[in-house]
Amino acid sequence: MSSVTTPQESTKRAWTLRMTSPRVALLAMAGLGFGVAVYRLIFGLGAATNLSDRWPWGLWVWWDVLTGVALAGGGYSTALLVHFLGRERWRAVERGALLTSLLGYLMVVTGLILDLGRWPNTWRALLFWAGNPHSVMFELIWCVGGYTVVQVVEFGYIFIERVRAPRLSRVLSAIYAPVLIVGIILPFLHQSALGSLYVIAAGRLDTLWWSMLLPLLFLMSSFFVGPAMATVESFLSARTHGRRPPTRALQEMLRLSAGIMVVYLGLKLGDLAWRGALPALVDGSVQSTLYLVEVGAGVLLPIILLLLPRVRSSPAGALTASVLVVLGVALNRANVVFTGMAAAAGGASYVPYWMEFAVTLGIIAAGILAYLFVTENFPIYREIRPEPPSSVEWAQLWPRQPRELRATR
Amino acid sequence: MVARAEEHSRGPRDPSRRRFLKLAGAAAGGVGLQAVLPAKAKAVLSSDERAERHARDPALLIDLTRCVGCGSCVAACKLENELEWRRGEPSLGPRAELAASNWTVVATEAGGDGDGRTRYVKRQCLHCLEPACASACPVRALRKEPLGPITYDVDKCIGCRYCLMACPFGVPTFEWDRPISSVSKCNLCFERTSRGEATACAAACPVKAITFGPRGRLLEEARDRLAAEPERYVPHVYGESEVGGTSVLYVSDVAFSELGFDEGLPDEPLPDFTWKETRLIPSVAAGLGAALIALYVRRQKALLAREGNEGAR
Repeated sequence: MSSVTTPQESTKRAWTLRMTSPRVALLAMAGLGFGVAVYRLIFGLGAATNLSDRWPWGLWVWWDVLTGVALAGGGYSTALLVHFLGRERWRAVERGALLTSLLGYLMVVTGLILDLGRWPNTWRALLFWAGNPHSVMFELIWCVGGYTVVQVVEFGYIFIERVRAPRLSRVLSAIYAPVLIVGIILPFLHQSALGSLYVIAAGRLDTLWWSMLLPLLFLMSSFFVGPAMATVESFLSARTHGRRPPTRALQEMLRLSAGIMVVYLGLKLGDLAWRGALPALVDGSVQSTLYLVEVGAGVLLPIILLLLPRVRSSPAGALTASVLVVLGVALNRANVVFTGMAAAAGGASYVPYWMEFAVTLGIIAAGILAYLFVTENFPIYREIRPEPPSSVEWAQLWPRQPRELRATR
Repeated sequence: MVARAEEHSRGPRDPSRRRFLKLAGAAAGGVGLQAVLPAKAKAVLSSDERAERHARDPALLIDLTRCVGCGSCVAACKLENELEWRRGEPSLGPRAELAASNWTVVATEAGGDGDGRTRYVKRQCLHCLEPACASACPVRALRKEPLGPITYDVDKCIGCRYCLMACPFGVPTFEWDRPISSVSKCNLCFERTSRGEATACAAACPVKAITFGPRGRLLEEARDRLAAEPERYVPHVYGESEVGGTSVLYVSDVAFSELGFDEGLPDEPLPDFTWKETRLIPSVAAGLGAALIALYVRRQKALLAREGNEGAR
């Protein structure tokens, strides 16, 4: 029996997407978002958003770009651990993480282009030699774009399991190793670049968040949010598909997350102390309150939960801690984009227009539908499939005898 | 077979973990340290060197004690640069703000320690010696001309608005009401000033509140005015050192912070902060690449060895 199909489906391999009422609702949301996105492209940013000269960046930059890229960090962190550091057991969650990451980046690129005020000029950002190497935005566009392509290629290895394409599979095998390596370097660069974006706001971004360590802090948080995101996603997916989430691998990954979070917390507070900004923590302002919520509920509390073996090994405990970590990272990005820049906006207010929400929710809905379609049509959850795949297919999928190595042996 | 063998291959305490921690620690430490330590790259100039280098750049000295708020400079600017008068974008008065059609405005400020006198503040692009907007622009649509002014090329712009985020003075504005918007800001009358002529605003000012000239000379002029009448001026030439210095300089009789100027800006050029991070990219990428290749090859060898053992059994 072919391992790529479930027993019931072993005779037919038609593409399916089971429609249920929540999925119809998602489809409606995606449709509305698409309509509003077209409206925005035709009539401009002013017509579709509440952005202004004081608030040039808003909901889309916060959620679609900064938070989206961070939450998709599970892809590169899992790939690093599995393929370079030999955590073989974590391969159980690798494909799920890779898929979330790929869809996440496609969503980010969509959001990014919709946010460009001169979107027909998007191609100009791709003229490498005309670009400005001093610009963090340049680095970001290139690394996010490049990594999205890399992930499409990485997904090709799953694609060829489902769709026979011998020539494509030979090409993919040949470029496997370099693709994996570039697929780690690019995320390291752009996850940190998202933090570097705000380094230039020196003197304007609130002292609680402005730091020369912003790139490192953004990189670390994208790394530790990966397993948390994978946990949330595995639980949701397991519920939808009536499967058991790969808890053992997730627990180990969450423990690693907790370790990185300890260092992250130390760096964040140490940096505040080093810059003499600790008093700003307790001055009772909105900024200090939101900082304390971000660090207390989004970092410290999950660290405590995850370091307690009993909590970590219970599904409810792991899920609670993971949700806190995800919300904490989203709040951190919100604090940088909104809370920390409010004073510099000179009292001007920004509340997103309904169309901004419609586009963001539409992109999320489309992403969830795409996720469901892929998980129901491609072999994503290996550990929980009825039978482990045969070695022949795995050898084809993960060519662990690259030609150059065989020659040197 | 193989896939299953791998499942049980690594215990939690194998050497690769230690190596990972070491690598991660070294990388984090290296990047963190380099980011924190002051950059000693040759490209970073001292403030004196910078002032020296830009001494001949076209510049403006705006004396807020002389301005009477007539708005001639605003009218001259609109004529010179073919900008509209728009109803929703006042260019004079208490609500005057830079906007797509306002490259300069004269804002009325009720400043001055309760002396009841109104101050008129001409706002415009300050033309930084090391502009944050140009350093932030991914496509070089904003650039500092060799002659000094910072200009904008709409054909290159992708509309990411990072320049609006980056500018410490809130100068660049965006045409929000257009389907395809562009950034707009003062270009220091680039064509006029590159011919050596004064900017339209300076030429139009009836009370000599705006002086046009090379930055070095105007800086001396400003210091002379402060020295000649210390009781009249606050002892600060705004733009002399803010974010590394600007080509538009201000002198005033009331504290700048009361007139809407940000006095909390660092003296270091903002692009230097970012450059301390971005200049690490090539070495980080190369170091990471080398480490990843080493790890990958090592893992491949381990996997091959294990397959060999499996086969022998």
